[in-house]
Amino acid sequence: MDKDPLILLIDDESQILRALKTILAANHFRIISAINGEQGLALAAAQAPAVIILDLTLPDMDGIQVCEQIREWSTVPIIVLSVRDNEKDKVAVLDKGADDYLTKPFGIEELLARIRVALRHSQLSIGNKETVITTGSISIDLAKHLVTINGEEIKFTATEFKLLSYLAAHSDRVLTHQTIMMHVWGMEEADHIEYLRVYIGQLRKKIEVNPDDPKILITDPGVGYRFKTSE
Amino acid sequence: MNGSKLIKILWMKIRHNRIVIIVCKLLGTMLCIGLMTFIFHLFEPFLAIQYIALLYLLPVMICTVLWGITAGILSAFLSFLAFNYFFIQPFFSLWVHESQDLITLTLFLIVATVMSQLIGQARDAAREAVRMARLREWEATCMYQLISALSGLTDTSDIAQVLVDHMLDTFHFVRVEILIKGWEEDPAVLRTGPASSLPETSPNSTIMLTTARKTEGEIHIWYQNKTLSNEESRLLQAFCDQGALAIERIHLTKVENKARVLEESDRIKTSLLNSVSHELRTPLAAIKASVSSLRIGAIDWDSAARVELLTTMEEETDQLNLLVGNLLDMSRIEAGALNPHINWNSVPEIAMSVTTKMRSRLQDHPIIYNFPNNLPLVPTDFVMMEQVFTNLISNSIKYAPASTNILISGKEQEDFLLFSVENQSPPVPDEHLEHIFDKFHRITQADKVTGTGLGLSICKGIIEAHGGKIWAENLADGFSFFFTLPRKLNGALPETPKDS
Repeated sequence: MDKDPLILLIDDESQILRALKTILAANHFRIISAINGEQGLALAAAQAPAVIILDLTLPDMDGIQVCEQIREWSTVPIIVLSVRDNEKDKVAVLDKGADDYLTKPFGIEELLARIRVALRHSQLSIGNKETVITTGSISIDLAKHLVTINGEEIKFTATEFKLLSYLAAHSDRVLTHQTIMMHVWGMEEADHIEYLRVYIGQLRKKIEVNPDDPKILITDPGVGYRFKTSE
Repeated sequence: MNGSKLIKILWMKIRHNRIVIIVCKLLGTMLCIGLMTFIFHLFEPFLAIQYIALLYLLPVMICTVLWGITAGILSAFLSFLAFNYFFIQPFFSLWVHESQDLITLTLFLIVATVMSQLIGQARDAAREAVRMARLREWEATCMYQLISALSGLTDTSDIAQVLVDHMLDTFHFVRVEILIKGWEEDPAVLRTGPASSLPETSPNSTIMLTTARKTEGEIHIWYQNKTLSNEESRLLQAFCDQGALAIERIHLTKVENKARVLEESDRIKTSLLNSVSHELRTPLAAIKASVSSLRIGAIDWDSAARVELLTTMEEETDQLNLLVGNLLDMSRIEAGALNPHINWNSVPEIAMSVTTKMRSRLQDHPIIYNFPNNLPLVPTDFVMMEQVFTNLISNSIKYAPASTNILISGKEQEDFLLFSVENQSPPVPDEHLEHIFDKFHRITQADKVTGTGLGLSICKGIIEAHGGKIWAENLADGFSFFFTLPRKLNGALPETPKDS
């Protein structure tokens, strides 16, 4: 890539726009911004940004609608900005196709990490997918159904492996409870979030150095889980 | 059975019929005079005529005392006739031959009449006095019963019910219907009695429940074959006045309570504003000072001081964020708009998520977990429970001495799971223990320890919204918060996954 990636910011709060523009520009991104949903949609279509950062509360329309409309014609990564206590909307927008979210106020390193992950995933989806995921001392070979820690193989039940491999295949992105349940247990048992809690606990015991302070299988309060690679 | 009942009813009707009573009295009078005449006639040879005249006053007196003034006068005339007929010559005729006898007869008539009248009046007066006294006593008793039943009632529907019951008991109405008007948020109240009665006609009487201020409602009364006596009307009116006063008393009490609540909420708001502005300014001051010192170049760009300032700024921003979160939660709890999004969660997972986020603040207070391996999942709102742990841990950090542990534990307890957050802070005086979850209740002076006094009351609001309880206890070597959470979600325990 000879050009810096283009980021579209859709947010009506000028203080946030100003700060993010400055910070992102300093981190070698090109920025365009919109102060409402309509303008945002127009810019998304006209400029084809590499990543869209979308605030959930906009003056003219709901952030969820904006996300839905973009998803009708584009797979561009969308990172949603929201506030605490708005888990329902976060989950809704993630289920509508947004890639990730950040809760305001957020640290800028978190935002940069999210942008990097989004860029990586959009490039991967064009080319071949990774089949071996490595984080710290763990290596997960999705094709061979093999998990090793420091070279030693770890045994998993079928469901445990299904869950771990699904999370690892979407590493560093939040996956909502519903999405995980659908993929691992299927439509019929997608409401039994208790299964997920139990299996996450089991996985942590097997792969985390300290299951009381997880570094790989991270909880996103009220939203879901993410598999974190040490990036 | 039916026949005897019918006879009973007929007998009651006859006994209480006025004409029957009068006829009986007159017959009694005639019988009395006849009997006396017969006795006098037997003793006539031994009695002088003057004595007989004197003796005739006896039945007159008896009749008057027994049956009243009408019977008395009738007996006087009958005595006069009998005396004349049987004892004055010529016998067995009403003629009088001797002028002396005429004088005797005339005198007798006058004396008998006047006497019967005097006795009758005295008797009637005495009877009336007794009747009045009884009536007054009855009225007083009824009023006393009503007032004692009304006293202490705090609900208009209870008042209406008491009024209905007492009116039915006292006046034997066919039906009583009480309508108390709605007032502010209190709905209108309608009470009727007896339960079986149905209104077929419009009420015989309607009385307003009125106080000096306004009309509180109205009473409809149905009665049969009966008009109310003056006394009854007066008593009924007194009942209504008492009822109206009782209703007014309830309304006034409510107004007073409301005023007290408003005053309290005003006090709380002032307290909130004071503590919030103080709490907002402190981190803002730290941030402003740090930022400006960095901007003007007062701090060497590579020094440790710069890192320190930046850390301060970040921590203070988090503090501000927590404060705003608490304020939001508080207003939601206040507005009753706290809607927990309850689902199966692992409380240890929630506690760990919180301690991970609070890592920098927990440097002086290592966290120790004491959760059994098989601790069941509980139905909770993840984000709200995070807030509970954040506030309980923040509170522990504030009061516990540095380098002491904070112990978070959980265990099963019948239908609940019991959790505790223990720290080694000094004991809290017993009188404060109950109140530390009250809004703005602070044990220490506001300027000594930071905080809004909201954190613990938010914990209480959240735990209660989950159907649990929260309390605090002094321990032998510290202090502990306890809370319970119900184990069941919609009556069910979590399902265990079937591994394929």
